[in-house]
Amino acid sequence: MQIKLAWRNIWRNKRRTIITIVSIVFAVILSSIMRSLQLGSYERMIDNSVRFYTGYIQVHKSGYWDEQVLDNAFAPPEELRSQIESLEGVEAVVPRLESFALASYGTRTRGAMVIGIDPAKESHLTGVQNKITEGAMVTYNEPRVLMGAGLADYLNMKVGDTLVMISQGYHGVNAAGKYAVAGLVEFGLPQLTNQVVFMPLPAAQYFYGADGLLTALAVVTDTPKKVDNILEAILQDTDTTAYEVMGWKTMMPELIQGIEIDNISGIIMLLLLYLVIGFGMFGTFLMMTKERLYEFGVMLSVGMHRSRLQLLIFLEIVLLAALAVLTGFLLSLPLISYFSRNPISLPEEYRSAFEKFGIEPIYAFSSEPVVFSSQAWVVFFMALVLSAYPLYKIRKMDPVTAMREGR
Amino acid sequence: MKSAFWLVLSLLSSFLSAQDASEIIKKVDQKMRGNSSSSNMTMKIIRPDWSREISMKGWSLGTDFSLILITAPARDQGTAFLKRDKELWNWQPTIGRVVKLPPSMMTQSWMGSDFTNDDLVKESSIVNDYDHFIRGDTTITKRDAWKIELIPREGAPVVWGRILIYVSKADYIELLVKYYDEDDFLINTMILSDIREMGGRVIPTQMDMIPAENPEHRTVILYNDIQFDIGIDEDFFSIQKMKRIR
Repeated sequence: MQIKLAWRNIWRNKRRTIITIVSIVFAVILSSIMRSLQLGSYERMIDNSVRFYTGYIQVHKSGYWDEQVLDNAFAPPEELRSQIESLEGVEAVVPRLESFALASYGTRTRGAMVIGIDPAKESHLTGVQNKITEGAMVTYNEPRVLMGAGLADYLNMKVGDTLVMISQGYHGVNAAGKYAVAGLVEFGLPQLTNQVVFMPLPAAQYFYGADGLLTALAVVTDTPKKVDNILEAILQDTDTTAYEVMGWKTMMPELIQGIEIDNISGIIMLLLLYLVIGFGMFGTFLMMTKERLYEFGVMLSVGMHRSRLQLLIFLEIVLLAALAVLTGFLLSLPLISYFSRNPISLPEEYRSAFEKFGIEPIYAFSSEPVVFSSQAWVVFFMALVLSAYPLYKIRKMDPVTAMREGR
Repeated sequence: MKSAFWLVLSLLSSFLSAQDASEIIKKVDQKMRGNSSSSNMTMKIIRPDWSREISMKGWSLGTDFSLILITAPARDQGTAFLKRDKELWNWQPTIGRVVKLPPSMMTQSWMGSDFTNDDLVKESSIVNDYDHFIRGDTTITKRDAWKIELIPREGAPVVWGRILIYVSKADYIELLVKYYDEDDFLINTMILSDIREMGGRVIPTQMDMIPAENPEHRTVILYNDIQFDIGIDEDFFSIQKMKRIR
């Protein structure tokens, strides 16, 4: 009965209701998009550097992370690998041998990051085979390499050319070799695209004189959410004096800190947005109360309980807010899911500026449910808090003055 | 008058001893180097938890020219280093390239050892770039020895602040060399031992280089055989030769 009455009351003054709904809908859409853009860029950053590069968890010889040199490489026993692989939620354990080298072609030379990979397993981590822009994937036993498109560009190289590499290997051995370029790869992180050389593991181990050695075992998990549990499980069964097991949060504190700082400024912006939205909503509620003063006065004087009237108004506001939030939710859903699937690429002129900062020149959107739900909840809750005003007004209302003022 | 006499005397004596010291160093230098030489060496790089061995052949002419060819391990076989004057060239057969080592690489380790690239190039100048002083007599491994201090001359292109060389009195052989930097900190210690006849001369056939910073680290060079005055000239030390030599 009350609900029915409230519903009818809402639609009695259609224009007012529509204005209210539209303002809330806008609020929800705007804050959702803002939040989605922000969270999306964090997801992208984490993806680019963690998901596509280090992996969420890594196992090294203890001391490697502080001094990332080849002399701290290790030969992980097969049990360790199979043990980690058997843990629940672990998708793959990916071997890595990483170091640096001078890459040279013709008269040009540049520092390169060499990553020795197992091509089959690497697909779980960097998915390097999907990042190839030209040429083809390397196989495990051939001494060919994939190189970053940016590096190839700098050295003026094409697929099929021979890359010369010079470095110092394990225990200071002389490392020098010639490798045919099998393909070019492009990653979201410009640093990677501009300096990476992927080499099949056996070739890399020979190049660096590090037979059978790895610098890291990267653990790939089904979902990022299980990382902490898996980390815990690995820590429990491994000898932590010989190995160090690290999660991505400890490996990349700069990334986390950068995100946190940015997130705070984002939240401040969001609060400002809420403030503006809140006053907008308050305005419509104020209007609603003022407009209906006469009506309220009459209701009270014919003997309606104040609490019933308050309940009625409260229901009206709840219905209104729910309607608006739901509409906003439904409208922002396709918008954001479209953008999350088709991130906005920046036009050419801005690209170089972004790349200088090592950021991918893309506006990514997040389609995590929390983006919508949190906005919807906040706006809905705000509507409830603001409803205190009309309720308070009714409580204090003197029917006679109300009728006189409302006329 | 009396004090003037003492002054002259002390000046004279220091002059004499300086002369003496320079003579000794000159003889030491000649002894080890000869006019030209070829040798067969093994270098052992020793670290607390691993060690590595490299075999090599070396040729030298005077102080300005030398050529080193790596013969083992297999992965480095054929790699060669050529020194002409103050320049160091490296031939990498695996990539078919000759690299001239830039000044920035001079302080880096040579083949992962405790020697730097600079040691290969600069080692020449102990006679000409330093003033020499006898700083007393000692006994090292039962041999009577002079302790000689080398102070770099003004403007000399030298990395050390001073060098202490302990020279055996009997046969002008270096027994111990200590290298100090400009702030007088000990940087490297070289011990020369296993003195015996080789190639017609009595020479130390083992050199141990120990960096003061890491006393457990050491690089040992063993001479397996050496020949002096083998009749090679400057043409031998060319980049073409470096690529071809076996």
